[in-house]
Amino acid sequence: MPSRQPDTDSTYPWAEKILPTRLEAIREAEPDVLDRIGGLGYDDDCLFAIRLALEEGLVNAMKHGNRMDPAKRVRLAYRVAPDSVEIRIRDEGGGFDPGVIPDPTVDENLQRPCGRGIMLMRSYMDVVEYACRGAEVRMTKFRRPAQRGSQK
Amino acid sequence: MMQEEPEVVQVTDRDGVKLVRIVSSAILREGEVESLGRALLALAEVPGRRVVLSFLGVRHLTSLVLGKLIHVHKRLAESGGELRLADIDPHIYEVFAITHLDRLFRIFEREDEAVASFAAEPEA
Repeated sequence: MPSRQPDTDSTYPWAEKILPTRLEAIREAEPDVLDRIGGLGYDDDCLFAIRLALEEGLVNAMKHGNRMDPAKRVRLAYRVAPDSVEIRIRDEGGGFDPGVIPDPTVDENLQRPCGRGIMLMRSYMDVVEYACRGAEVRMTKFRRPAQRGSQK
Repeated sequence: MMQEEPEVVQVTDRDGVKLVRIVSSAILREGEVESLGRALLALAEVPGRRVVLSFLGVRHLTSLVLGKLIHVHKRLAESGGELRLADIDPHIYEVFAITHLDRLFRIFEREDEAVASFAAEPEA
């Protein structure tokens, strides 16, 4: 796998939001992130992928990390550049080991109602890593080279 | 004061099948997900119920919705009923395929085809 690196151009700085632990806060936080991505001309496939990964990451942080504790918050940091989108989501929970999440696609787990969020993030983003003992997920989506021609 | 439940589905009868159409284009709010789950589980109260859920106009969802659908699928299956899906946007279909839920649910291109598929089978 090629080791592609995200843009480091300071024209596109990191932005940050501190969210309350309410699922409704996800929809309130999304527009700014998605507007920046759309403004740089990323295509619909990329937008769908990043939105899904963003929502799954935030849902996981609130439900599994903060266990919907309204006293806890979620830190969302993001950097939208012409060639890559980076997202970091940190909760205030005790973390987890992503290596022990059962594969939801095998027959015995197919009817389990949970466990698909991490899989979807890994499927739709190019890089998904965990830090802070699992309390922070770091994701990167690289823009496909052909897309640059459609940049506004 | 009771909070008004968000309207997320419309339910109609079609040839002995409950046809459920999702009203919202993106199901994310916890209230919407819970409301969708409650509406579908209410239909599953009747043994052998046949349900078609149309995603027409839905452009986005999260795995929370997938969890609800699996729960409803199991509840219906326990009583001899079934949940079939239709009108799924290509992006959302990909989510079903990645998670292998296209193996758990019967998915049709259009709601008419899903309803007709039940009519072609004798009731349990």
